[in-house]
Order: sequence, then C-alpha cells, then structure tokens
Amino acid sequence: MTDLLTRTRPKVARRAQRIGLLIAAGGLAAVFVVRALTGDIALVDLPNAAQDLVTLTVSVMIESLGFVILGILISVLVQVWIPDRWIVKVLPRNAAARRVVISVLGVLLPVCECGNVPLSRGLIAKGFSVPEAMTFLVAAPIVNPVTILTTYQVFGFTDGILVSRIVGGFLIANLIGWLFSQHPAPGALLTEKFAADCALPAEGDHDHSGSKWQESRDLFAREAAAVMPALILGAFIAGLVQVAVPRSVLVTLGSNPVWSVLALMALAFVISICSNIDAFFILPFASTFMPGGIVAFLLFGPIIDIKMLAMMRTTFTIKTLVQITTVVALMSATIGFMVNFYA
Amino acid sequence: MPDLKRYQGLALIGVMSASTLWLAATGQLELYVAPKHAIFAVVMSSLGLAAVLVSAMRVTVHHHAEARPRMLGRVAASVGGTVAALVTAAMVLLPPATLTSATAAQRDVNSTAPLTDTTTLDEQSAPDASTENLSLLDWASLLRQTSDLGFYEGKTVQATGFITPDSDDPDNVFYVSRFYISHCAIDAQAVGVPVYMPNWDSTYDADEWVNLEGEFAVNASTTSAQSIAVTADAVEAVAQPADPYIYK
Repeated sequence: MTDLLTRTRPKVARRAQRIGLLIAAGGLAAVFVVRALTGDIALVDLPNAAQDLVTLTVSVMIESLGFVILGILISVLVQVWIPDRWIVKVLPRNAAARRVVISVLGVLLPVCECGNVPLSRGLIAKGFSVPEAMTFLVAAPIVNPVTILTTYQVFGFTDGILVSRIVGGFLIANLIGWLFSQHPAPGALLTEKFAADCALPAEGDHDHSGSKWQESRDLFAREAAAVMPALILGAFIAGLVQVAVPRSVLVTLGSNPVWSVLALMALAFVISICSNIDAFFILPFASTFMPGGIVAFLLFGPIIDIKMLAMMRTTFTIKTLVQITTVVALMSATIGFMVNFYA
Repeated sequence: MPDLKRYQGLALIGVMSASTLWLAATGQLELYVAPKHAIFAVVMSSLGLAAVLVSAMRVTVHHHAEARPRMLGRVAASVGGTVAALVTAAMVLLPPATLTSATAAQRDVNSTAPLTDTTTLDEQSAPDASTENLSLLDWASLLRQTSDLGFYEGKTVQATGFITPDSDDPDNVFYVSRFYISHCAIDAQAVGVPVYMPNWDSTYDADEWVNLEGEFAVNASTTSAQSIAVTADAVEAVAQPADPYIYK
C-alpha cells in the first residue's frame, strides 16, 4: 500500500522523507540541548556503587559503539551491494574444502556475531547448505580482522591467548560443519517458518524495495534494532558483575584450573557481549583468572550466549541449538583446560 | 502503520552517538575511554549520526519475510529494550562521572600495580634519585616490589588522588588513590599509597580529592595488611583534576 503511494504520489513520498529527517534531526538536537543543560547538574544523588555501575556500563557502550556501527555498515554493504555470485562463485566444490574457505570468510566480512545471524540467514537463502551457514556463523565472529585486532590490542601474544582463540574458533567451526553435514536431511535443522521463507522465490523478496539505497536504509535500521538493545544489556550486566561480585569470589574461582574455565564460560553465556569487544571486557579478569579461562571465554562467548541463542532461534530448531551448544561448550572447555595445562 | 521497533535501534544509536560527541566536545570522553580510542569513537559516532539521519528518511514500509522470535527471544527483547531505554536515559541525564572509591575497594587497591613502564627500584636507589615527579602508579609499583623502610628513607611522597578507605582498617588508614586504565573504565585498576591517620574521616571524606605530602613509616595500624604507610605532613583538599585517570 505504501509502495503504491510512493510510486504514484512522489510528492507524498518526498514529504514523508522530509518528516522522517526532521524528526530525527530534532531528536538529536534535543539530545545535545538536554546534555548541555544537565551536564553539570546532579539530578539524583546516586550511591557510589550505583554511580559506578552507570559509569562502567556507559564506558563499555562508548568503547563498543564504534565497532558495532562499523559491523552494521559492513553487513549492509555485503547484503545489499555485493552480488550473491561473488561469494558463491569463489568457493571450492569439495564440501570440506568449501567449509574451510567459508570459515575464513569472516576476514572479508568482519561483522560481529550479532550481524552474522541475519547474514547467515541471507547466505542460506542465497544457496549455502545449512552446515555451511553454521560453519560461517561459528567462525566469522572469531576469525575476523576486528576481533583479532582488539584481542591483539588487549593481550598481545601473552600466554598464547590470541593464537588459541583463532585456531580454536577455526577448529570448532569446521567440526560443527562436518558434524551437521552428516545429517541425512539438513533442512530439518531449520525452523519450519524459516525453511518456508527460504523456499520463496528470492526475487519476490526484493523487487518492491525501491532501490538499493532504500534497502540499505531499511537494513541499517533493522540491524540496529536487533543489535543495540542486546549490546546495552550486555554492557549493563558486564558493569553489574564488576560492581556486585566480590573480588575474593572471582580470585577463588579464577585461580583454579577447572573452575577458571567453567566460571568464565558461564559469564560469557550471561553477558552476551560482542566478539569485537569481549577482549576489552575480560581484560580486568586477566589478573585473577588463569589464561585457559580467558581463552574459553573468548571461544564460547562469541558463539553461544543468551543473546545469540535468542537470535539463532529465529532460524534453527531447539534440538539443533542444544546440539550446537553442547559441541561448542565441550570444545571450548577442552581447549581452555589444555591452555591451563600447558601455559 | 509506523513500525516503532524500526526506530528503536536508530534512536539508541543516535542518542549514544550524540552523547559520545558531546563528551568529546566538552573534553570528558576520557572519563570513559582511553585517549587512544577517542578518535575512533568520534569518527564512528559521526558516521553513526549520519547513518541515523539518512536511515530516518524512510519512504516504504519494507516487510521482510522474517521469522518471529519465539518465547526466549521475546523475553530477551523486552528485558533488553527496558534496560536499553533506562541506561540510555541515564547516559543523557546524569552528569559524567569518574569511578568512585567503591570500585577501588572492590578491586583491591594496588593488587595489580604494573611493574613495567614505571620507575624501578634501581632508579630510585641511585644517590641522585628524585621522587618529585613520581606518579601514584610509580609509588604503587615500588610498594609492590619492596616494603623495606630503609629503601623509602628520605623519600618524600607527593601525590594527588582521591581517598579510598583501607578495607582492613577503615577508621585509621586510607589510600590516596587513582585508577589507571588501559582501554576503558571497565578495566580500571586502583593504585595508591596507604596513609596512617587515626580518625581521618572526622576531617576528610571518602572520595574527596587531596594533595598528600609525607614520608613512609611503620604502619601503626594493628589490622591493616600494609606493613608500611605514609605519615602525612600535609593533606590538603583539592578539586578533582580534569584528567582523574592515569592512562597507560
């Protein structure tokens, strides 16, 4: 209906555009004005712990905001502007070799895991097999330049954390891909709703979108709506753990070779923080936790956490998610224990 | 019908980007992230604002055939949405602030003082060594390496920091402390020098910024874990400096 209006009444469309722009510009101007007015006034006198919770949460939000915006912009670029055939054409024909190449595709498509779910859905719709899309989903958040760069910035080559993370992510992704490629009917791994969507002709999905610019704007807004609340919730929980959990508890857990791994995997599951910035988050724990715990956190978190399971549920059945979670948890823990043993 | 969910993400990015740029413009971004990350934050926030404005110019309602999230997704979305709204409101309404003594105490002052990029025992053992320019980070590093009073003899401590009560003897011992930060406030670690001053809280408050001058002596506290502490010649209340953190 709105499309019809757009085509037949360009004046109405232009006015709608102007109104949208005015609302957004007015809203942003209001933020600057409010900030200028409240910058020096303490509206409420918060107790120290609450004040620090706000400060810590905001600091993680500001630190990660840039990476998230970058991830969304690249996701838009890949999904809207890069032709499907570029990606599908360069892949080898042999199934295992294809998965190996797919697991390093994240180097070219550096989106964090939140951006990967819609991207993987797009890849399945574009003709990737389900195990191939899973391989990408698991590998891309870890084997990608932004994650590698931030992990390097934080840890350098200390205790083999960076190398264990990259190699571990690659291995887990290929193991998952191989395991699910043994499934007799991979289509059954998908939810009925998503499988039905994929069966629709691809062109029908896009021909009413107006233009690529139009589609890019829509996609930016949609990705932002999906990613931002999860990001802020992750930052808030990260701050909460820092303020609320006594350091003595963290030290006790962190100095044990087994508990250091399991505790940080549990933490990764709860805080659901982006792989692009999780290294910054875990840095303060590095002084109290053994390196294997840090590695398990950096392997498990990007693939499985509350936010990711919620997002993946749009695509995969519960049974499939339980299987993926089990395999990833066992692999992450094993690699973590090995690092603790050897480092 | 307008699709409100669509605007939620744009609004969050817009408000966060605008707040970040305001912090940068007023010189307060360093209360949250290290100066080395400031340029990236400013550039990406500017791009974010531009993308929000462009994205808000919307003509069509474009419904993708997207699967709706199930129960888990809906619960996560509503909790996430509420927390996101509250935290973002706090970001706009509350004045920017540094971390307080609560976090310093929670993270144990001096538990992780770095031993690199700071002054060394050898440097400070030299006959012409001067303590005039030592930062709290330097002092914390020295304290981690030795508590031998002979080493500290004749060395005057001059330092500016906020007061964090010693958790083992909060009535008689406090730290003149600061946070040092590598990337952003979440990795802040507290460093400081312990000061022995019975009933200090009748004169000063926790979190108050002070200039300290004094010399190390045996810590007279019976419960504090610190074997040596500064006996103050002068503790003078000062305003919080513009750069309260030590960036490393």
